[in-house]
Amino acid sequence: MRQNNALRITALAVLLAPAAALAQVDTSEWKCEYCPFEKGYSADVDAGVNYVSDDVARFGNGTGMDEIGAEVDLGGNGVYVSDGTRMTWYAEDLGLDSRVLDITVGKPGTYEIGLGYRELPYRLFGDTATVFTLSDSQTLTLPATWVTAGTTSGFTELASSLRPQNIEKDRQVIEFGATYLPTSKVRLYADYSRQQRDGVSIMAGSRFTQSAYLPRPVDDYTDRFDAGVRFLAGPVNLALAYYGSFYRNELDSLTWDNPFSMVPGAELGRLALEPDNDFQQFSLSGVYRTDTFNTVIAFSAAMGRGEQNDKLLPYTINSTLVSLAPLPPTLDGQVDTSNYAFTLTSRPHKRASVKLSYRFDERDNQTPVTMWSRVITDTIGSGGPEANVPYSFERARLNVSGTLKVFDTLSVSGGYDRTDLDRDYQEVAQQSEDTGWGKARWRPTAWLEATFKGGASRREVEDYDTDIAVSLGQNPLMRKYNLAYRYREFGELSLSASLPEKPLSVGMTWFYADDSYTESQLGMTESNEDRFTVDFSWAVSDAASIYVTAGTEAIDAIQLGSETFTGPTWEASHDDSFTHYGGGFRLAAMEDKLDLTFDYTRSDGETEILFAGQAVSPVPLPQLDSTMDSLRLSLRYVVSARFDATFGARWERFEANDWALEGVQPDTLPTVLTMGASPYDYDVWVVGVGFRYKIGADTD
Amino acid sequence: MSLLKHVIAVAMLVTLTAGTAGGQEANYSREGADTCLACHENEAVLPLFKGPHANPTDPNGPFGHGQLQCEACHGPTGDHAGRVRRGQERTAPGIIFGANSTTPIDVQNEQCLGCHSGDTGFGWHGNDHDLNEVGCAGCHSSHVAKDPVLVTATQPEVCFDCHQQQRTQSLKPYAHPIRQGKMDCSGCHSPHGATSELQFAQQTLNDTCFDCHAEKRGPYLWEHAPVAEDCSNCHDPHGSNHPGMLSMRGPMLCQSCHSQSGHPSLPADGDGLPGAMPSQFMLGQNCLNCHTQVHGSNHPSGSRLMR
Repeated sequence: MRQNNALRITALAVLLAPAAALAQVDTSEWKCEYCPFEKGYSADVDAGVNYVSDDVARFGNGTGMDEIGAEVDLGGNGVYVSDGTRMTWYAEDLGLDSRVLDITVGKPGTYEIGLGYRELPYRLFGDTATVFTLSDSQTLTLPATWVTAGTTSGFTELASSLRPQNIEKDRQVIEFGATYLPTSKVRLYADYSRQQRDGVSIMAGSRFTQSAYLPRPVDDYTDRFDAGVRFLAGPVNLALAYYGSFYRNELDSLTWDNPFSMVPGAELGRLALEPDNDFQQFSLSGVYRTDTFNTVIAFSAAMGRGEQNDKLLPYTINSTLVSLAPLPPTLDGQVDTSNYAFTLTSRPHKRASVKLSYRFDERDNQTPVTMWSRVITDTIGSGGPEANVPYSFERARLNVSGTLKVFDTLSVSGGYDRTDLDRDYQEVAQQSEDTGWGKARWRPTAWLEATFKGGASRREVEDYDTDIAVSLGQNPLMRKYNLAYRYREFGELSLSASLPEKPLSVGMTWFYADDSYTESQLGMTESNEDRFTVDFSWAVSDAASIYVTAGTEAIDAIQLGSETFTGPTWEASHDDSFTHYGGGFRLAAMEDKLDLTFDYTRSDGETEILFAGQAVSPVPLPQLDSTMDSLRLSLRYVVSARFDATFGARWERFEANDWALEGVQPDTLPTVLTMGASPYDYDVWVVGVGFRYKIGADTD
Repeated sequence: MSLLKHVIAVAMLVTLTAGTAGGQEANYSREGADTCLACHENEAVLPLFKGPHANPTDPNGPFGHGQLQCEACHGPTGDHAGRVRRGQERTAPGIIFGANSTTPIDVQNEQCLGCHSGDTGFGWHGNDHDLNEVGCAGCHSSHVAKDPVLVTATQPEVCFDCHQQQRTQSLKPYAHPIRQGKMDCSGCHSPHGATSELQFAQQTLNDTCFDCHAEKRGPYLWEHAPVAEDCSNCHDPHGSNHPGMLSMRGPMLCQSCHSQSGHPSLPADGDGLPGAMPSQFMLGQNCLNCHTQVHGSNHPSGSRLMR
């Protein structure tokens, strides 16, 4: 939008007026007789039945529609207003595993209490199978008839032992919150939520050189508290807040029967599941505004502590291996966090603004360093003592930027960013990154805008400590890409046009980034990313609108590897691409009695990985790809003032080729007993009919 | 800009501010909202009365006792509502909201912040949206019963109006359940301002991820260094072509950092597919076929992230 100074002055005058005028304006005759304020109770209640055409776990991911057949669909929203008290409710998908229910009640301007419940289904595979049975909450057993073998081809009882096991979890969230405003300048709030998860995921249980996919039970919850107070005191806003997150896992370990032949004593394997942990944080933040150069200063300071004191498992479940160092009862793990931020923005001139910001984040791992013995996969008592490594880091970021409005239609900006990162125990103890950028923004009219931003950054590492790498058994020529020297160039362009007289808007964005890791002999050496999007929407009339969206993204990367523990012997070039396009329309017809909406999206993802080099076989990898078509149609017909009839249809088709899963049966890999998941390939229709009933005076 | 426009504007400023200070009323309408509704009683305006702004029992709300009703937000509209002579164009109300409005964005926003600086507007000034002149009305609709940007299922489309590349990424085969309408952008980002990088809802990127994925927070006995530092070292949270929203297909992702002695960094080419010599290093969960505890292990024997 064009910044017109006359308009600005006029508008500022208007802006200043209400506050000052509130006490001056005689509103005694402002009856608001024509204001249709809400009174009593009103609600829209949605009810219907959906039919899902197929059992497809992946389609049920997020939607809860993973089973063939009819499902009840309930939802709606309502409000009750009386004597200054306002109660609202909102519900969706009550008949599905993706249900949502929110209720709020309060006296606007004084207090509000909210209660919420929602479920989120996570559906990964519906065609998997396992030989394991959960005998208690954390022990997986094999059938009594199971015959062990050195490789999967020797599992004579495999076919008869497999049983279906979907990989799916449900997340249930209960939320409770309250806000109280004792005065217009003070706001107190407190929120509590519990996220509970239960279900089954895949986890590999490994032996020395073999492994079996385990249907790992999930049963945990996280309690979360948020509370604080905000003060408005003239030019200063202050907030004091507490955040607490308490994770509790009902299962501390998973024990399983080894399906492979094993040495005596190693019949069982055991791994540790995620330990309980607590994190608590206090923060103070504030904003100060002054008329001097129209300056705003914002700051925040937060200090937190994470603790983990779950009881440790023994080194091994193998009773034949006993001569090991004693264990402490718990880790006594502790991480202290500090986060400080300061931002100053100022407009010293009507055409110029500057911003200075500094941020410091620290993760200080105070967990004691101890020497530990090691039993390799409950089989071999070996490895010698080794110390745990409590990783810590400090990260400081400085940003300076300025914007100058050269003309009313053109502004230019420039900035410099600096990031310093200090770490413990890693190959790179200190690294820094300097970034310079420029930006131009052109607004020749109120409805047209173009922005270009470009820049470059250089990440320097003080010293890549190959001694640390070698001590961990790493090839000293490897440069981990988050620790390596990197030079990056980037650019971004966006165009948008919006014609208010003919409600039509067009938007386009383009982004590219080109990374070079020129000092890396092994690991990532190049990476670049291109993205392009275009949007178009047009409100053809009050009754009809259409839109089209499309986007594409390409991520290319080259990495070098060595299978001989020397210099590079192979090169892999990755070509990831993704494209989507879609569109739809909204139409109101028959004197607004009929509402029709239609949406369609198509998306295609492709990944090609090409290998070259002396150690590489001529057998190329097939392309990884996925295609999704998604169509939605909804229709609403107004039968009467209180009753709408609804119809909805949804179609989704998904096809994928994935060499990591394609043809991998439970016994395909000689040393890994898998669960036989297949790439996603489904075609599902959902058809629904229902109604909306309107309750309350609203419709009279 | 013509001199005349400047003169008129300054004259208005002087008149309005001096007028209020001197006890004279600014040119407000004669009957408040009733004046406005005489012409604007239509579907674009009436849903306002189903929303939180038009609540007569909220003493601080626009329609609370003694408040300025429509003009609390739109400014004095006496001139706008006045008689118009034949051939004369009706003057606009003082403040018109929206991206294409002639009212400057910062003026629009100050009007909203006049009431909302204590809640959602607390950290607005100086944040990226403010500096890029994003108007409150560019995202929020106040003349509706339920603002779409406050509903999880509809919020992302509002954000995607500007953040189009994130729409593309959200449609990738492995993504958070945004396209299913079960997760919104504000679950991770704080659009009204924060001093965190990228306006994360929590202090850091990792803190934001741990808010829902608290099981990965630890601290673990055996940590994986890039996990403790930055989840986005391995994951693309807006969506990916690869399972787990990984930024690259395994085992190559792991091989970008690891080339281990006694554990050869083999190229995962077609020789390792079913039908040839199926490789445990590239099929199924590749490296995670054994190193299943890639986010960290709390097992005393778990230093290789296998336990």
